[in-house]
Amino acid sequence: MKNNHVSDLLPEYLDNTLSDSVKQKTEQHLANCIQCKLELDEMKLLFNAFKNDAITVPSDRLSAKFEAALNQEKSATAKVVSIAPKKEKSNWASNLLKVAASIALLVTSFQIGRVIQSQKNNQELVVLQDETLQFKQAAMLSLMENQSASKRIQGVNYIEEFPNPDEAIVKALTDRLLNDENDNVRLNAFEALSNFTASETVKTAFIKTLEKEKNPSIQVAIIQALVKIQEKKAIAPMQKLLEQEDTQPFIKKEITEGLPKII
Amino acid sequence: MKQLTLILFALAIGTSAKSQSDYTKSLSGIEWVKIESKSDIILKTHTTDELLIKNSRSSEVSQRAKGLRLIGEGGSDNTDVGFYVVQDGNTLIVKNLRKNDEGEIYLPKDQNVSVKSTWNGDIEMSGFHGEIEADAELNGSIEILDARGPVTANALNGEITVVFGKVNQDSPISIYTTNDEVDVTLPSDTPSDLVMSTTNGDIYTDFELTREEKDGLKSMSGRKVKATINNGGVNISLKSTNGTIYLRKK
Repeated sequence: MKNNHVSDLLPEYLDNTLSDSVKQKTEQHLANCIQCKLELDEMKLLFNAFKNDAITVPSDRLSAKFEAALNQEKSATAKVVSIAPKKEKSNWASNLLKVAASIALLVTSFQIGRVIQSQKNNQELVVLQDETLQFKQAAMLSLMENQSASKRIQGVNYIEEFPNPDEAIVKALTDRLLNDENDNVRLNAFEALSNFTASETVKTAFIKTLEKEKNPSIQVAIIQALVKIQEKKAIAPMQKLLEQEDTQPFIKKEITEGLPKII
Repeated sequence: MKQLTLILFALAIGTSAKSQSDYTKSLSGIEWVKIESKSDIILKTHTTDELLIKNSRSSEVSQRAKGLRLIGEGGSDNTDVGFYVVQDGNTLIVKNLRKNDEGEIYLPKDQNVSVKSTWNGDIEMSGFHGEIEADAELNGSIEILDARGPVTANALNGEITVVFGKVNQDSPISIYTTNDEVDVTLPSDTPSDLVMSTTNGDIYTDFELTREEKDGLKSMSGRKVKATINNGGVNISLKSTNGTIYLRKK
């Protein structure tokens, strides 16, 4: 017991609730252990302080006041709580409320219906626009195959109707740029494509064009476009053009000025 | 028997009435006539529905080449006037095999024609109302007078002059040169959406241009002019890389 301090048992000891054997052992320990004795004395002091502390009791006046307030509150609540007679009185009002609610319901459902309908209409409109776009695309593609160069140019110019042309249109235009026998059509196809240089298909077609195109007007336009987007793959065909004897002087000038700009 | 001799007689007169070796070919079923030449080409209209090539071979050459056949790049002379003529579907291909003599060709005025000069030849044509495609690939120039159909024309080192009698509103017009001038005359009341651009040349016109506006500001770029005349209409694009553009009204 010497080494086992009894601080845990002290509150019970003071309250005198320990069993006799434990109480005896505790007293034995306390006799020998100064530390626990000190702790016991301190605890005793604290307990006495609790005991001696005067409990403040509310004055009679305060309790009377409180009772009066409580009664007043009780009577007031009673007045509000009396629902039964009021319910009968407000019958017509609740009916009116019901009517109002049904009208509101009707109006809302009508509005919802209208919104849904208009959405449907919008969808139909979108479908229609889609169809006209498809029609335009078909017209564009067929015009580009026309025997007449002017009609082919007309087909190429249809690109203005397609802010986001799909791959089929871009492919048809690059075909024109690369393979059309008429220089005017090729130049127009280039101009149509020059707005979509972000597309890989277009870039590849431009580089191919640079390799095979003999018309200097188209060559110079392609060079300018490729320099603008700093296309590195264009460097080799440009240098080849520089070396060729039949390349026009102003094309060579354009290339020598353009090449350093491609970083 | 009597009828047959009459027909033969008529045929004999018919052929002899033409100058000795002019070449003619019927154009029924032909939509396009494609002409290719290294030397000058002069295209004129006539009223019969046939192709007529005038023989302009100098007599000295004729004498020496008598009994011989001219052989050119594209084919051999099958017309006796120095041309190779062959039909390909609805297209009639006409090639001038001689490199120095000019060819004078007559076609009906509504014929669609495509003319290409591959070397030094100038292209001259007048009075055609069908579609016209003209291409001077190297040094030739192009002159088209009284055009009424859609025109596409381009030239490398030569200039292009086009005078429109009327501008067809169905199909776009595209004219450009690389090194020389573009000179186009339109009737003053022509409605059109115009694009004119030149990289190193200037642009002149006496038309009242309604310039494209952005936020109330007019584009003043000298390189590219986008404008409408007479409230807009068919697309006309006139371009040059190094040449000057003249647009006149008549």
